[in-house]
Order: sequence, then C-alpha cells, then structure tokens
Amino acid sequence: MSTRANALTAALAGADYPALVQAVPYATYLGLAVELAEDGSRRYVMDFRDDLIGNASLPALHGGTVASLLSLAMQFEALIDMPAPRLPDPVDVTIDYWRSAGPVRCTATARLIRSGRHVAQAQAVCYQEHVDRPIAFGRSAFVLRNV
Amino acid sequence: MDDTIDKTDPAVRAEIARRFAAAIPHNAAIGLVLEDAATDTVRMRLGYQAAFIGNVEAGLWHTGIAFTAADSACGLAVFLALPGLEAIATLDLRMDHLRPALAGADLVIEATCHHVTERMAFVNADLHQDDPARCVARATATFTRTGKSVLA
Repeated sequence: MSTRANALTAALAGADYPALVQAVPYATYLGLAVELAEDGSRRYVMDFRDDLIGNASLPALHGGTVASLLSLAMQFEALIDMPAPRLPDPVDVTIDYWRSAGPVRCTATARLIRSGRHVAQAQAVCYQEHVDRPIAFGRSAFVLRNV
Repeated sequence: MDDTIDKTDPAVRAEIARRFAAAIPHNAAIGLVLEDAATDTVRMRLGYQAAFIGNVEAGLWHTGIAFTAADSACGLAVFLALPGLEAIATLDLRMDHLRPALAGADLVIEATCHHVTERMAFVNADLHQDDPARCVARATATFTRTGKSVLA
C-alpha cells in the first residue's frame, strides 16, 4: 500500500478529518474543514477569504470556489462512506448556481447516492447563513480505483 | 469605454478582456492569465502550482481548480460575445474529465460562446496541457444575461 493510501486509511480509521484534508493540497489551499454534525453527518466548510472573490462589485465568491467545495464534499463523502478506502476520481461534475455566494463562509453537505463496483454517484448542496436558502447544487460521477 | 464599443476590433477585445479578467480577484490569486481574445475562442492559461494538486502520489491536478479556470474563461468568452458590457452570471456548468491533468504542466483553457439568445448565452470550453489534440477536460456552460451594464 502506498504512502498516500496509508495516510488516507489512517485518517479514515481515526475519523481524522484534518489529516484527510491535509492529504489533498487543493483542499488545504481552499481552507476546507470537515465538521461533524450532531446527527453524525458531515459538513464541509470553506471560510470566506478576499482572494476567493469572483465579483468584486457585488461582492460574490468565484463560482469555481463554490464548485470546488461541492466537488470536494462529494469526493470526501464518497471516500468516507466506502467500506474499503478507494479514491474516487471525478468523471463528470455539474454545478447549478441558484444564488450568488456572498462574502461569508460556505457550508456544503453531500450524499453518496450509489456506490457500485466501478462507479459512484453523489449529490451535494451548498448554503451560507441559511440552510433553507441553498446557493448551489452539485452532482458528480466517480470512477473507483482500488487503493 | 461605453456600451457602443466595437467588439470585432482585436485591440478593443484585448482591452476589454484584460479589464474583465483583472476585475476578478480570484483569477489573480490563482494566476489565471489571458493569452488570446482576438477571435471568438478565448484562450487563458493557468500556471501549475503545487497547491492545485488533488492526488499527491500520482501527481495530478485537482479537478476543482480546472472547473474554476473553465468558469472564468467561459465567462470571458460570453462577455466578449455579447453586445455592450452586459453583466452575466453562470447558471450551470458541466465538466467532463477525459483524462487526468498532470502536475508540473500548465492548464490551457479555450472557451467559445457559440450561441446567444435574448436572455441566455451558451458556451463550451476545452482544457488541455499544451496539446489541443489531447483534452484533459471539456466544459459546457449556460450563462444568464442580466440586462445590466457592468458599469452601472
């Protein structure tokens, strides 16, 4: 087993989410954090930063950063939810933008819809201050490799 | 610069593109630069950075940063295709990942707005690593036209 796979396996076994994020440099760059909700589900959080702004006059976060948060949430959820740790590679990603993302933190929740032998499918929603006012929706298919 | 500008003039296109790209802080933060806006296909380049990696062991870009670059390039292609200086917003964007993007090499994004209606604009983008025959990803996006000038 490789070092990366070892790091992921160890992080998964201990539910060590900071270590999981740390294993992915781009997730670290975005400042992604994984929070455990009371019901045991996970929330993926991206704090606001000036350098994430896409539209300075609104201001609004760059849509790509919201897409990346949704994508990472789906990727991690697919990884975490699996019986054996396999790294899900996105095959396709679609993001629907529902509202502009204001200059505050973003929270995403993701759900693994299906996980087969070779393919997994997930959905995710992103909201800001109000959970009932989601700002973006994502869906993605992943191809599964053995670690 | 006003709403009666000639967007067929390459020099004007280049200036609009430069200002549009410069008005997006996240573009500057990641180092996304405009290479060519003279024709209907807008070309941008994102230089490789270690922070963009998704898979350390295999040495691959994360797909999320490619999505961001595609969104920016598609937006610019739409902005240049519309008359005037109309504000736009991404309605949806789908990206197909054809092959992994390798660490160490840049990402080139070529976006083309192929259709415009009264309220919408439709755009495609190809992403490659300096070999257009080997795309790493393709994007399809729809943008809404706000009807308002960015100068308003």
